[in-house]
Amino acid sequence: MIPIEAYLAFAAILFAIGAYGVLAKNNTIVVLMCIELMLNAANINFIAFAAYSADAIGQVFVIMTITVAAAEVAVGIAILLNAYRAKGTIEASGLKSMRW
Amino acid sequence: MFVEYTWLVPLLPMICFVAVGLIGKRTPEGGAYLAIAGAAASCVISVLVAYEFFTSAAYHDPGYVTAEIEWFKIPGGFTLHFGYYIDSLACLMMLFASFISTLIFVYSKGYMHEQGAKKRRYYAEVSLFLTGMLGLAVSSNFLEMFVFWEIMGLCSYLLIGFWSFSHPEGDDAADNAASAAKKAFLVTRLGDVCLMAGLFVVLYSFGSLDYVRVFDAAAIHAVDQDMLVLGSLLIFGGVIGKSAQFPLLDWLPDAMAGPTTVSALIHAATMVKAGVYLVARCYPLFAQASEVMLFVGIIGGVTAFFAATMALNNMNIKRVLAYSTLSQLGYMFLALGAGGYLIALGIETGDHHLIAAGAAGYVAGCLHMANHAFFKALLFLCSGSVIHAVGTEDMRKMGGLHRKMKITSVTMLIGSLSIAGFPFFSGFWSKELVLETVMHASDYGAEGYLFTILWLLAVVTAFMTAFYMFRMWFMTFSGKPGHASEHCHGESPASMTAPLAILSAFAIGFGFTILFGFDALLSIGVEGPHHQFTVGAGEAKGFEYLSDIFGSAYTYLTIALVLGAIGIAHLMYNKRSVDAGRFNGGGESFVYKALTKRWWFPQLYDQISWKLGYGVARGVDFIDRQVVDGTVNGLSNAVAGGGELIGKAQTGDVRSYTWAVVAGVVLLFALMLALFYFIGGGI
Repeated sequence: MIPIEAYLAFAAILFAIGAYGVLAKNNTIVVLMCIELMLNAANINFIAFAAYSADAIGQVFVIMTITVAAAEVAVGIAILLNAYRAKGTIEASGLKSMRW
Repeated sequence: MFVEYTWLVPLLPMICFVAVGLIGKRTPEGGAYLAIAGAAASCVISVLVAYEFFTSAAYHDPGYVTAEIEWFKIPGGFTLHFGYYIDSLACLMMLFASFISTLIFVYSKGYMHEQGAKKRRYYAEVSLFLTGMLGLAVSSNFLEMFVFWEIMGLCSYLLIGFWSFSHPEGDDAADNAASAAKKAFLVTRLGDVCLMAGLFVVLYSFGSLDYVRVFDAAAIHAVDQDMLVLGSLLIFGGVIGKSAQFPLLDWLPDAMAGPTTVSALIHAATMVKAGVYLVARCYPLFAQASEVMLFVGIIGGVTAFFAATMALNNMNIKRVLAYSTLSQLGYMFLALGAGGYLIALGIETGDHHLIAAGAAGYVAGCLHMANHAFFKALLFLCSGSVIHAVGTEDMRKMGGLHRKMKITSVTMLIGSLSIAGFPFFSGFWSKELVLETVMHASDYGAEGYLFTILWLLAVVTAFMTAFYMFRMWFMTFSGKPGHASEHCHGESPASMTAPLAILSAFAIGFGFTILFGFDALLSIGVEGPHHQFTVGAGEAKGFEYLSDIFGSAYTYLTIALVLGAIGIAHLMYNKRSVDAGRFNGGGESFVYKALTKRWWFPQLYDQISWKLGYGVARGVDFIDRQVVDGTVNGLSNAVAGGGELIGKAQTGDVRSYTWAVVAGVVLLFALMLALFYFIGGGI
């Protein structure tokens, strides 16, 4: 039986990588992918605790998160497509028009 | 049985004010008949009240009758009342004010006939004025008195400015009326502020403003004497404003811009007497200190003299009368001041003769007040009749009117003789009594010599009075017809001449009341313990006055001066054998300039209000700009600048926002860990 700490450590590492990507990458497609990484880190935590406490509700939650994430990515890609049409770029440093 | 209905006296004109204001247009003459009816009804009730008060023995003991209802309370134990207070002084005031008002309202019907729709406004305002005057006379306390005092001030302002919208003589005259109204209002306001401060001092010292409680000997004795002097002087400040005494005298000549009936009613017969009335009313307070009464006397004497000098060379018939009003008011204050000075000394030394002599001064002041109301109203109405006929106020354009206006001419002659103090006319008796009291006062006390000077001023004033009154009469009625006299269309209508006839009867006869018990009714009696003052406690001296007056050499001196002045006026302005121009150096001499420029009083006012007002305005402007605006602008600048600064943080770069979020989460997490570490898992 793999101890729960291993899952948690793995999820933490995955979350940190995702966070790094969100913070550091200029390409917004990569940023979206990194957000997925962070979401999945959270999913792993859900599964791990669900298995650990033998409670199915965690697994149910994960299925819902995956669904929502799929929808969210679809919306995100659509925004980026429109941004590209409007501005000709999808670099985060180029999309700064929503400010004072 | 009538005294209980005293409240009707001021109420009836008030009802007329409302009625004329609402339905005046639908009644004939724009509400004239309503106003006359109201004034006449007030007059009748006044007569009934006075008759009952004077004849019923029940009222003689305290010398007054009063009734009041509670008006409102101020926390701290002050209760203010509303009611009436009738004594001889109130009766006198109420009687002559309502009587003369009735006559002047009747006269107005003729005088204001051509004013069209504006008549409604005129009759409404004079009715409201009459409310103020009668209310003031019967008030039972200082606050009520002050309310009516201010109503009169308002009406005075409104009526001086009656022609400020459209003047029969053009736009300049209209502007003139407007600025005269403002001047009158503002200058008297200065006095009213003093009066209000005086009332605060009285309220603070006595804990009440009711006459019965303030004029109580024990209460006066218990009060701090310095506060009493302060309160008296402040109240007298209000009197100086209202009665146009030195140095606030300059508004009254300008107030002649109003209709002549208004000048007669408000600025000669009644409102300006309110100041005299107030001094007479506050005698128990004023007479506690001889300094206060000395001050009253000096102000009166100085005003009498200066105002008379300014009347000497004025060419405007109404202005001459205005200056003479000032001068005669000065006489009243001189009499009251001298009498009070004697009473104050008498109280100090316990000398009953001095108190009796002082009471004579009080009688002289009151008698002169009533006499002056009659003859000055008469003179103003006569001048109104002349102005009505010739359409100008400039005496140089008049002349020779005697043949065309016999009634006006004769009645005005009677008025002039009366005010000049020609023997056996009304003014003669009161003027002689005033001079006698002042002469008497000069013999006593450390400051008595000042009264010698004031007596001299008053005698010279009597000479000048006779001169300028007859100068006016000769210039108007005798000699060659002037430019404007040719347009004269004869005598004024009967509604105008009838009041003249009635008033001239009083101008001849009212002075004789002094021989038949006026002094007993109006004298102020002073009794212990601690010197209780009672109006109407004196004994009638009756015909003793004859020997008093005619036994004194000074009387013959003044009579000679008066006759001499009339003679000089005759030579200069009737026979024209003496050229009046010789005395003014062709309009270049210093005195002539001083008199035409009213001793530079208007300039003085302008300078003071300019320098002082401008300085104050600049100070206020500085505070407004720097402090008030500074605070507001500073706040808005701080908000705008702060917003600008914080706005800079919004870069629009999504990664920097993410950094902020992550850093915040990390910080919170670290905080949680630290909490757990230090406090343990017990949360």
